[in-house]
Amino acid sequence: MSTLSSGYREFSEAPRSAWWGCWTIARASLGLVFRRKLFWILFAFASLAFLFLFAVIYFRATLLANMPDAAPFVERLFERASGNGETYRDFMVGQEVITVIILAFAGSILVGRDHQQGGMIFFLSRRIHLFHYLVGKLLAVGGLVLLVTTLPALVLYIQFGYLTEDTLGYFKENWRIAVAIVSFGSVMAVVLSLVLLATGSWMQKSVPLVLSWICIFLIMPPIAGFLRHIYDDRRWLLLNLWWDIRLIGQWCFGTVRERHAEILPYASIVVIAVCVVSLLVAIPKIRAVKVA
Amino acid sequence: MESLIHLEGVTHHYGSFCALRDVTLGFEAGAIGLVGQNGAGKTTMMQIILGLLRPSRGKVRVLGFDVPQRGVELRGRVGYMPERDALIPGLKGVEYVALAGELCGMRRQQAKRRAHETLSYLELEDARYRNIETYSVGMKQRLKLAATLVHDPDLLLLDEPTAGLDPDGRAAMLDLLSAIAGRPLKSLILSTHLLGDIERVCRHTIILDQGRVVGQGSIDELRDTRPSCYQLRWQGDGREFLNLLRELGATVDVLPRPNRVRLHLPEHVPTREVFAIALQAGVLVTGLEPEQENLESAYHRLISAAHPVLTVRPETAGAES
Repeated sequence: MSTLSSGYREFSEAPRSAWWGCWTIARASLGLVFRRKLFWILFAFASLAFLFLFAVIYFRATLLANMPDAAPFVERLFERASGNGETYRDFMVGQEVITVIILAFAGSILVGRDHQQGGMIFFLSRRIHLFHYLVGKLLAVGGLVLLVTTLPALVLYIQFGYLTEDTLGYFKENWRIAVAIVSFGSVMAVVLSLVLLATGSWMQKSVPLVLSWICIFLIMPPIAGFLRHIYDDRRWLLLNLWWDIRLIGQWCFGTVRERHAEILPYASIVVIAVCVVSLLVAIPKIRAVKVA
Repeated sequence: MESLIHLEGVTHHYGSFCALRDVTLGFEAGAIGLVGQNGAGKTTMMQIILGLLRPSRGKVRVLGFDVPQRGVELRGRVGYMPERDALIPGLKGVEYVALAGELCGMRRQQAKRRAHETLSYLELEDARYRNIETYSVGMKQRLKLAATLVHDPDLLLLDEPTAGLDPDGRAAMLDLLSAIAGRPLKSLILSTHLLGDIERVCRHTIILDQGRVVGQGSIDELRDTRPSCYQLRWQGDGREFLNLLRELGATVDVLPRPNRVRLHLPEHVPTREVFAIALQAGVLVTGLEPEQENLESAYHRLISAAHPVLTVRPETAGAES
């Protein structure tokens, strides 16, 4: 490095791969969300279910250790916290409402403002491709989803195994549960990231974005239920995106009910279609950003 | 020597609208001004040079890179300062600049260090830990420039860098740009409507009109293409003198000071005719100096030449936003 007379210092070092830009974008975007008090309030609400289940698992293990004679009663009492796939699946499904609320409010920070306030120009004029930007944003949104659903579920899984008498045996016997937790979390992360990217690209301010998410996740489910009731056809439930994701989650945990098994392929198709459409909707909007 | 920019037959269409028409130009390293009215194609040209827009036809090489193929690598060596804010609310000044550095391929610690250095160089060190929403217009412009300079690019693309600045801020920004443009092997392209800014910072200019290049070259070359314009001074009653000059086919623009006009002689009329007419009118010519045309006049002349019927009014031509 040499110092010019004007005080400006030259810099010449080989640049890193553009793929690092994905991580940089994800980190910066998450950093902006984490600075918001509202996020921490919502995250506190999201943690309530986790803390409750954490306490229940601990309490159950304590009772089983101290009152071995009452084991059948305790196990029946805490049936929903018995450490099988359904325990974690139900926990993750239970987090869906708060996840949607967090994403709806964080959407304008993560995606909308890039369009609205010129952040997109800032990003796209750097040493990255549009693809790196998309991956970075998806990582950020996916990270939020994993933080609220998958990470706590994994912590509960580890806690349950740790408190079981035969810890190693539990993990050996139930390793598929860990895979199922990660798989279900990944499906949620990918789908919700893409939906947020698409809706955030078009509805950049908080209020329209929240309204659009209310339509997708709060209004569509009763409509789907109503149509299913009217036409007596389960396939109408496919209109409920959460239901589709949940069905895939059940498949991940190996707990799909028989009556839903035949709809599972349709649900998968709907979820894949939503992902593809979201990408197709978002990319032209991002490409259309005027740089100068 | 590697050519800075080389555009060959570049045409770009937005649907049926042609934004750039068969643009061919080449420039060596240095400071280049880009001038044109709204819709002239400046934005499109910037996007093409930056590698964000693939031209419908033609070849583009910038800093030796084939732009459509290696746009990402190119942007690592280019710094772009957009006209609009392009800020990320919620970030502090130093974080914003460091983020720009990281996205240009720098390691995190390097980017942070460079961000501090660049902000100090641009006299923003006191504000570097403030949220960028609290910055004044001038500070935002300097912050954008810092984000543009952080990775020490070989080429700067600056879009209206003095927009919204007060006179002092504008002078400071132009001084800064002149200093940056003066560094060896560094270049800048300055897109602005303020032709004075270009004259002060740049050595070369590209004048665009309706997607065509109507003038390009060094500012001196563009000025020199006006040989028949003079400043004429005389003593005595000039009314008959001026009438006779007009009969000769000359255009006379009255200047604010007495007995002084700007004279445009037809090409076939030699200057000795002016002295002959002065003698006939009984006035004494005290000065007949070839006028040093400024860039603004050259710009209007070139635009008018491209559209003989259209008269470009100086006050509207420069008011593009």
